[in-house]
Amino acid sequence: MVWGAWICLLSPLAAAGLITLGGERLSRRGAGYLSTLSCFVAFGGALATFIGLLSRDGGDRREVSTAWTWVSGGSYRSGLEVMIDPLSVFMMLVVAGVGALIVAYSIGYMDGDVEERRYFAYMSLFVFSMLLLVQGGNLLLLLAGWGMVGLSSYLLIGFWHDRPSAIAAAKKAFVMNAIGDATMALAFFILIKQGHSLEFGILGGEFSSTTANLVALGLLGGAVAKSAQLPLQTWLPDAMEGPTPVSALIHAATMVTAGVYLIVRTHAIFESAPKVADLAAGLGAGTLLLAGLIALVQVDIKRVIAYSTMSQIGYMFLGAGLGSYANGMFHLMTHAFFKALLFMAAGIVIHALAAEQDIRKMGGLRTLMPRTYQAFLIGSLALVGIFPFAGFFSKDSILAAAMDHGTYGYILWVAGLAGTFLTGLYTFRLLFLVFWGEPSAFVREHFHALRRDVVGVSMASTVGVLAVLSAVGGWIQFSPWWHPVETWLQTVAEPIVSPKSWQEWLSIVLSLLLGLSGVAVAYLMYGVRTLAVPRFAFAQRTLEHKFYFDELYDALFYAPAVFLARLLRRGIEEPLIADSGRDLGDDTRDLGGLVARAQTGLLRTYALAIASSVAVLAIIFVAVK
Amino acid sequence: MNGPGVAWYLAVAGFLFGTGSLGVLLRRNPLIVLLSLEIMLNGANLALIGFSRNLGDGGGQIFALAVMAVAASEVVVGLGLIVALNRKRVTLDVDRLNTLRG
Amino acid sequence: MLVASVGNVLVWAVWIGAAFACLASGAAVVSFSNPFYSALALIGNLGSLAVLYLLLSAEFVAAAQVLVYAGAVMVMFLFVIAYIGPRIESPWMGGPGWQAIGAVLAAGALLVEIIVVIGLKASGRLSHSERIGTAFGSPAQVGRLFLNDHLLAFEITSIVLLVAAIGGVILGAHSRSAADEVPPL
Repeated sequence: MVWGAWICLLSPLAAAGLITLGGERLSRRGAGYLSTLSCFVAFGGALATFIGLLSRDGGDRREVSTAWTWVSGGSYRSGLEVMIDPLSVFMMLVVAGVGALIVAYSIGYMDGDVEERRYFAYMSLFVFSMLLLVQGGNLLLLLAGWGMVGLSSYLLIGFWHDRPSAIAAAKKAFVMNAIGDATMALAFFILIKQGHSLEFGILGGEFSSTTANLVALGLLGGAVAKSAQLPLQTWLPDAMEGPTPVSALIHAATMVTAGVYLIVRTHAIFESAPKVADLAAGLGAGTLLLAGLIALVQVDIKRVIAYSTMSQIGYMFLGAGLGSYANGMFHLMTHAFFKALLFMAAGIVIHALAAEQDIRKMGGLRTLMPRTYQAFLIGSLALVGIFPFAGFFSKDSILAAAMDHGTYGYILWVAGLAGTFLTGLYTFRLLFLVFWGEPSAFVREHFHALRRDVVGVSMASTVGVLAVLSAVGGWIQFSPWWHPVETWLQTVAEPIVSPKSWQEWLSIVLSLLLGLSGVAVAYLMYGVRTLAVPRFAFAQRTLEHKFYFDELYDALFYAPAVFLARLLRRGIEEPLIADSGRDLGDDTRDLGGLVARAQTGLLRTYALAIASSVAVLAIIFVAVK
Repeated sequence: MNGPGVAWYLAVAGFLFGTGSLGVLLRRNPLIVLLSLEIMLNGANLALIGFSRNLGDGGGQIFALAVMAVAASEVVVGLGLIVALNRKRVTLDVDRLNTLRG
Repeated sequence: MLVASVGNVLVWAVWIGAAFACLASGAAVVSFSNPFYSALALIGNLGSLAVLYLLLSAEFVAAAQVLVYAGAVMVMFLFVIAYIGPRIESPWMGGPGWQAIGAVLAAGALLVEIIVVIGLKASGRLSHSERIGTAFGSPAQVGRLFLNDHLLAFEITSIVLLVAAIGGVILGAHSRSAADEVPPL
């Protein structure tokens, strides 16, 4: 079982290393096969660990395997250790499984790209980093994985580095993640000072409320940055500049969910700081509404799905903040399925339309790409949470949990329900605009079907697998009647809310109704176009500008920083540093010139110098004597 | 015998030395400069001999003889330089000989 | 005592004459415009110095002064001056003005310093008579000192003379034109 965990962790790293070292010796497609194989091996390792853990008793399901002592200073020690417990195995299965499918899909999507090998090396690096994050046995290794996923995200967003928009987006993502890294580091410093260790167990210890609040706040900051929640959400839509599989893997299924994993893993400290947990839930609710609204006016197919991701992670934050950890994680799993499915199907559409992403130019693809349409439909239904698809089972339990949290919980509950309506609306708006209606002029001109070779097979088969998972994956848990996921994760994170049965049923019925009404409105507006789309200029402008967050941050942070930088350059760097170097040289040369004037070349001058020196010395000699 | 004290001899030596240094510093013809140099050396010699008599130490005379030998050597080299300069038709003016100007 | 005072007067008279000749010829060397005349004045200077050495009981040094300095070195000087030809120039012209002032000041400072020092220190007597015997200044004593107490100086001086001889030959050597009469040491 321990071997399984180590193989799972190290196999993608080996692939990344081999692809990097292999260079030109490895063919482009060979790099893809190697990377995919490593991810499947990782999944195999995760499966082996899971089976091994299953065979143990409920209370005994925890093992830490240490390779060696990594950091040791004073009374502080950190080992290179891997944690094997239900939560980490859960995440390992999701990350390795969905990751393997997406990397296999990339073989087809990235076929023909000149730098395919670099892509697969980065993808393997990412999978390794994410696995390190979820398997890390202490907070230090988690932070290492955290930083490395940020790095891989930067590398992959800016993969097509000759596009300035991609480079700018990569920088934006990295800088905003760095803010989160900083707050997390501060939280760790406080932990080391107060608790003298960064083991997971320490989080359950006795801390003063200030300490607990600060630590929880720092961790929340990191989670908010990584998961693109309010107020650090602006980087995620821009991150769509990367290739579609990257958007699927990193910005839908795995990296952005790392924040949720962090909260669940460190739930003990959040339970000691209930205000911060409420803040997390509130931020989640706010984000899900914000993202849902913005998604209504987006015209780029990937951006709509990105905002939908932001919104769904809001749900996960809501669940984790309220203390319904297992439900948050379950939603994470189902979301990974259907969001990756949506992105990959969108990728097939983009490929078929020669890299066009504007949905206003699309239409009528239902007849031209029926299988893709079916996959997209399944994904959309799962996203909205329609029975019997995956999202139905996970989302509603989170809403029910909100009802067990007092008045504040009810406010969150209402927000979550409103979000369900919005989800139905924007998701099916997208579906109807892209697939329904008559094929547009653009489509007629540029459409070409998927090839039947490896490219087509890789893309179609992986999408198919995810479609099946989105269809049936949710049946694992249906909260009122059977909940194996909750039981599985109970030993790690005991939920602190337990909604009653009537609350569960009420949430289920309401969210289903609202979702369906959203779908109906979308059908009327975009499907058969009998209802006109309401256009309020102010609202339209605000939504299109994403509630002006980018402009706000630009004015608050970027403009003063640029001003300060310019000031420093004009005031200090040029006159003091650059010029001083030049002046030093000039002054030395002038000084040398002055001294050179003593070299007259005349015998008499030198003789006079000697004579005067002797006279002076003699006077001094006499005076001293 | 009695005669002038050592101070008088030293005064003469001092005057000789001063006169010689004036000649070294103020004349432009290198030959005259060499001659003035000789005067300076002779002034030093007179001082040496005077003190040798004063203190009864014969070492002063030995020193003076050594100075004479060295002066002769230096004159040889100096005159050789001047003759070489003359052969190259260079003006014999120390103020013009400034190619070592830096 | 009259003999002694007559002897004293004689010594003083000789001394004054020799000192005067010395200083006058020294001034003459520095101020003549014709180098030939300057060289002749130097010969006079050397002669008067030899008289002063005799007054100081340094017979050997006086003889060496006349033979070596006046006899060999100055003859060499006169040869070279004759070879080079007439160079009559105004002696005090040229050069930066500040040099002249500086030179006078430097020389004056040295002079004043010498006089001040010896004025302060010298006792007025010429010598510690008890140490001066008849052999003082004789060739025998000089020779004994050279070979016993100051042997190193003696040897090094001979090497210096050798080096100067070689230098003179090298400086006088021609590369292609006909041999001129360059006087060696």
